[in-house]
Amino acid sequence: MGSVLRRLLFFFQRNQFDRDLEDELRFHEEMKTHALADADGLSEDQARAAARRRIGNPLRLREQSREPWRFATVETFAQDVRHALRMMRRDPGFTVTALATLALGIGLNTAIFSVAYGVLWRPLPYPNPERLVIVQSSQQTGTGVRTFSTWSPVSYEGLRPRVTTLEDLAAYSSIDVQLTGRVEPLQVHALDVSPNFFATLGVNPARGRAFLSGAAAPDDDRAAIVSDRLWRSSLNADPTIVGRSISVDGVPRTLIGVLPPDFSFRPVVPRLGALPEADVFLPNRWSGDAGQSAFLWLLGRMRPGVTRERAEAELTALINDPSIVSAGALGTEGALAAGVRTRARVFGLQAYGTESVRALLLILLGAVSFVLLIACVNVANLQMARLSARRGELSVRMALGAGRRRIVRQLLTEAVVLSLLGAALGVMLALLAIDLTLPLVPQFVLPRVGGIVIDARVMAFCLGLSLVSTLLIGLVPALRLSAAGFGEGLALHGGDARTTGDHQGERLRTLLVAAQIAMTLVLLIGAGLLIHSFVRLTSLPTGFESNGRDGVLQIVRVTLPERLYDKPDRIHAFARDVLDRIQHLPGVKSASVINSVPFAMMFIQGDFQVEGLPKSTLNVGLPKIEAGYFKTMGIPLLAGREFTAGDTAAAPKVAIVSERVVREYFPGGPREALGRRVRLWGNSDWLSVVGVVADIRQRGLTQDVQPMIYAPFQQDHSGLVRFVAFVARTATPASAAEGIRTEIRRAAPELPIESTRTMDEAVAASLAQPRFRTVLVALFAIAATLIATCGLYGLMAYTVTQRRREIGVRMALGAGRGDVLRLVLTHALRIVVAGLIVGLAGAAGVTRVLQRFLFGVTPTDPIAFTIVTLLLMAVGLLAAWLPARRATRIDPWAALRAE
Amino acid sequence: MKEARTKSKNELLPGTLEMLILKTLSIESMHGYGIAQHIQMLSADVLTIEEGSLYPALQRMLAKRWVLAEWKTSANNRRARFYRLTTAGKRQLGVEESRFSEMFGAIMRVMKTT
Repeated sequence: MGSVLRRLLFFFQRNQFDRDLEDELRFHEEMKTHALADADGLSEDQARAAARRRIGNPLRLREQSREPWRFATVETFAQDVRHALRMMRRDPGFTVTALATLALGIGLNTAIFSVAYGVLWRPLPYPNPERLVIVQSSQQTGTGVRTFSTWSPVSYEGLRPRVTTLEDLAAYSSIDVQLTGRVEPLQVHALDVSPNFFATLGVNPARGRAFLSGAAAPDDDRAAIVSDRLWRSSLNADPTIVGRSISVDGVPRTLIGVLPPDFSFRPVVPRLGALPEADVFLPNRWSGDAGQSAFLWLLGRMRPGVTRERAEAELTALINDPSIVSAGALGTEGALAAGVRTRARVFGLQAYGTESVRALLLILLGAVSFVLLIACVNVANLQMARLSARRGELSVRMALGAGRRRIVRQLLTEAVVLSLLGAALGVMLALLAIDLTLPLVPQFVLPRVGGIVIDARVMAFCLGLSLVSTLLIGLVPALRLSAAGFGEGLALHGGDARTTGDHQGERLRTLLVAAQIAMTLVLLIGAGLLIHSFVRLTSLPTGFESNGRDGVLQIVRVTLPERLYDKPDRIHAFARDVLDRIQHLPGVKSASVINSVPFAMMFIQGDFQVEGLPKSTLNVGLPKIEAGYFKTMGIPLLAGREFTAGDTAAAPKVAIVSERVVREYFPGGPREALGRRVRLWGNSDWLSVVGVVADIRQRGLTQDVQPMIYAPFQQDHSGLVRFVAFVARTATPASAAEGIRTEIRRAAPELPIESTRTMDEAVAASLAQPRFRTVLVALFAIAATLIATCGLYGLMAYTVTQRRREIGVRMALGAGRGDVLRLVLTHALRIVVAGLIVGLAGAAGVTRVLQRFLFGVTPTDPIAFTIVTLLLMAVGLLAAWLPARRATRIDPWAALRAE
Repeated sequence: MKEARTKSKNELLPGTLEMLILKTLSIESMHGYGIAQHIQMLSADVLTIEEGSLYPALQRMLAKRWVLAEWKTSANNRRARFYRLTTAGKRQLGVEESRFSEMFGAIMRVMKTT
């Protein structure tokens, strides 16, 4: 240890060392001069000259004196690095190509890894995040396991004081609110939370305090906490804001806290993704609500040492104890079947709901690692070509006594320098890519976007990658070097070297290019499958007419808050009133109301019973609609009638079923369904079926057709009609939307309008995720294709140069241009076909991982396989075309004379 | 042939130079020139210490901490680097001496058997 330290010290005191040594030698010289002058009687000058002769070469002496202090390896490494940089400067074409390829490979990997790490693995920004869990319930029913994400407030109230395996159990529910007062009227995302929400997360506001819990909780009923983001953007970062009042949905509330800047909590909804960050947090105790209007997510913090299994067991025991929660009141009203044991499910907050994005990110990581692999192979190949060119140089160095190990080390050092430079460029590329693309990522796709940063861990990953690429691009040529008798290279260094060639090296290069083609094909086929699936998806019928001759569908949504609309009658009146007005707006062909609009987040479903048949095992969508809904949406009526304005609360109860329900329950077809009676969950009334309509894809193109039973809006008395969506068919969507909003504002001035969009936009938004992943994988595949094409081009160009004389001889003997062209192209084709065969086999094995992202396309889809293979073959031939053309222009006389 | 002769005059057995330096410094601390002079004098000019070997050897010994160096004023009032034996150097001298006498004895035995 001591000696290392001394050597290190020496390293920093080199100059001092040199000065000391010089002084010492000067002293020595002087003493010697005097001695010689005294002894031999020489003049001072003669004596000095003699002394100098005796001392010898001072440079060598200094070198040797330094030697004991050196780190031999470090200094040779530095020497090798300098040499490598010199070699790179001398061959800028190679350097630029190699660096660009490596930067692309490493950059893409770093970017995707930083996203994957940030989303999947970075610890959540709360203390002991591993103990935070989401609690759900599930039931084993005839149709399989049904999972329920949310709970009714009464079950939460029953569980919270009793559960012992959890330190804290909080509830939250996502809402949108309108802020007024202190700010410009503003629609923001908010969370209704139980008072212990922040305590459960272990987060304290940066200013003010968290909500009070326990007995003090009611004092906070009119409180609010805001995010740092909202505080800065809309409240002017006012430091005295705590204690002031702000109006939320028309209700004045006291602002008691501002959260820290790094606070982040994006509620994740399975299958949908992560909801946006909330900016306002409101305390809520949902007293007495049995699940008519509030769906709660439960967030727990396990006690230290408690496993998820133990927590699950305790919670399951609690929810099945009828003295705590009656079975029917567990989840959303009527959602859980009575008489079936309900199981509590506990999921870690970190992994919760990320299955889909996890699969996507892992696939993207796989795709980009292919790109990197191809890039490395390309650089290795370039290195090999250079190695052939440098045979002379290396042979001379070996002849001069450089050991084989020394040369291999030199080659590896060149690889290290290349990789590190490539990694540096790659990180810059990744930073740029993340900055540019993250804002384009569709909403909901990535939870925890805040966790995506390039930090030490990502850098470590990037360094690891460059290490891997070093090995790949350094070892292959180095091994080649050991295999080839490079000692003989010197003899071949003359003119012969070029014609004799390096057959083994060429074979290896050919193999590498074929491997590149194989890997590219796998990537391209993956992209091809996703594209084909995407085309299929977009050509699927939605079942309704989002645009057509009569104009486009426009949707405006509002939610009627419970405190203003406590009775269903008031909701009915509001909807009817606004609908009557908008039907007469200019440009509106027809209009209606529904409480769960297609292609939206909310979907209400439940079971039902046909009179005279056992209770269904099928879940149906249960929207409540106003008259004219099917006409407005363009959904064909197959039998019977639509609802009319006459289907009021007082009129006989009626229902309309979809084709899918008819197929399952009425074998006689639509006619048979008419007049039969059905009973829907949460309601004991029997409804007469008055009509049958065609199926639609209510939940989006990626979901199966869902059976539906529609009931009149005016006849529904549950709280679920408070979600009101006005749909209108109009030729002038923008002005009609404004008209609808004006009418809503006139009827209810304090009501926030949740969203305004056309059905086309909703359909496009539902395709955002598949489009996003298709575009990404396609981009990676294109990058891979470019790199592999360069590889093939490089090899063919090299081969043509190598075979110059041979081609010259052939032409001199009468071969035509066509023959030469064919010669080169056949050679290229052999390599490409070999690569394609291996690639096809590989793709057939690998594409299974895409299964969950494919719709209507099998992982071995013959169309994608065929088209992509032909495409790659064409690109390969194109890459070989240019060198082949050059081969035909060889002047046989010049080629032969050059020898 | 000529080369062999000139070499034989100066060439020391491996490791001997360091032993000689250690021995010299065990008498008193000395500068490089002094060490060379001392060895040449005591060996009656048989052993000439070349500067090209002496100074690298001294640096080696410094790196191994057998000797320490400090700048002092020499007898003729010049600044000179003086080397001084450390405890580790003294120990090393013992090691080298016994190794040398072993080697020397072995060589002598070989030479005497003919």
